[in-house]
Amino acid sequence: MKIVRDSIIAVSILTMGAFGQDANALMQEAAKLDVKKVCDVKSNGLEKVLEVAKKYNPVAVEFGVEFKRLGITNSVYIKGLEGAIKAKKPEVTLEYKSKGKKKSKTFKTDYATWRACHFAVRALQQKVEAQKTWRLAVPGDGFKY
Amino acid sequence: MIRSIAKVSALGLLAISILGAGGFNEQAEKDRKALIEYMQKKFSDPLKNRASQFPYSTDKELKENIKGGLKFEDFRLGSYAFNKSGKEQYDEIAEMPPYEDAVDEGEELYNKKFKNGKSFKECFPKPDIAGDYPMYDAKKGVVTLSSAINDCLKANGEKPWNMKKGKMAKLEAYFAYQSKEAGKKFNIKIDSKEAQEAYERGKKEYYSQRGYLKLSCASCHVQGAGKRVRAEYMSPLLGQVTHFPVYRLKWEDLGTLERRMVGCNKDQGENPHKANSKWMKELLYFMAYMSNGMPVDGPDIRK
Repeated sequence: MKIVRDSIIAVSILTMGAFGQDANALMQEAAKLDVKKVCDVKSNGLEKVLEVAKKYNPVAVEFGVEFKRLGITNSVYIKGLEGAIKAKKPEVTLEYKSKGKKKSKTFKTDYATWRACHFAVRALQQKVEAQKTWRLAVPGDGFKY
Repeated sequence: MIRSIAKVSALGLLAISILGAGGFNEQAEKDRKALIEYMQKKFSDPLKNRASQFPYSTDKELKENIKGGLKFEDFRLGSYAFNKSGKEQYDEIAEMPPYEDAVDEGEELYNKKFKNGKSFKECFPKPDIAGDYPMYDAKKGVVTLSSAINDCLKANGEKPWNMKKGKMAKLEAYFAYQSKEAGKKFNIKIDSKEAQEAYERGKKEYYSQRGYLKLSCASCHVQGAGKRVRAEYMSPLLGQVTHFPVYRLKWEDLGTLERRMVGCNKDQGENPHKANSKWMKELLYFMAYMSNGMPVDGPDIRK
């Protein structure tokens, strides 16, 4: 029993460590991307662009920097788009909760895919940029007036 | 002999703790003083500072509606420190404050017995404590007033409350009112290396751009303080926490500082952080330290 418990703990720690490393590496990788190119649905196709969003958005969630617009998180965009793209639907209806109430909004699938990709990559790029820029806004530090 | 050794040791320990405490908040004090200097300079003469501070404001607006010559304590009023027309409306509403019943209900909650026969009095013997939170606890990390209230409930076998409104806001309104009546000031302490690190993390988050709008908290409340977003003037970081909980006309309800912060986080275009998250607590720790020395001025009214 003890061996099983210890094995579970060891595997959990290793997995967490590996994910932590991956998350940082993925953030640095995202920082180098040309967001206009990788999120261009016309040249890359919807599936490929959505894969970019699916790759980077969980990292944004992990770092607490996921984007949300008009009540819809990027995770909701991605989840809704998976089904819509598979079914080749030109429009996607996203269901979300706002102030405890169920709501929905409909978007053109290509537009929503571009947004999901753009939001996922930019959230991480911004996090990396902030490491260098935040002090420039602090009075008494980098902010000159 | 033993008595003198004990005296010398006690004095030594006291000196070490005072020096240590001074050291841990040294950077925070520098930050606070630099912020006061910036805000006082910014609002010294808004019309004269137009080019550097209020480029989009009209001359008429700066002359007629933005008050100049603000000093440290004036900032406890938030945007009403400088917004003349806003202050007039605020004064009218304050004649019959919509939070009065909440203060009474908060007092009832404070005295009400839990199922185990104890009450909040056991956790908070004095109710004039609003200016002492957030504080740093070696085991728990940053403890906000809301999280301390929930810790008290849980320790007594009760269910924790929603940290944004309802009973939480009412009890906090009572604490704030008692603190204001007792003339208490914000007195946030940074007395360990861990507390200093938590403060620094909170500061970094306050000044980091986030969300799809790429705004930091400082974009609106440091560099943007006194500027207008549509019809509303943005409040300064200095004095920003002093008047909570607030009755917001938008909410038609009383809400805690955490509730307002979640709203701000949404406005930045980010999936908001939870009211009880480490991120939120450390951000509030930094913000509250910036208001150290200011009188507790809650509960209050905001648009």
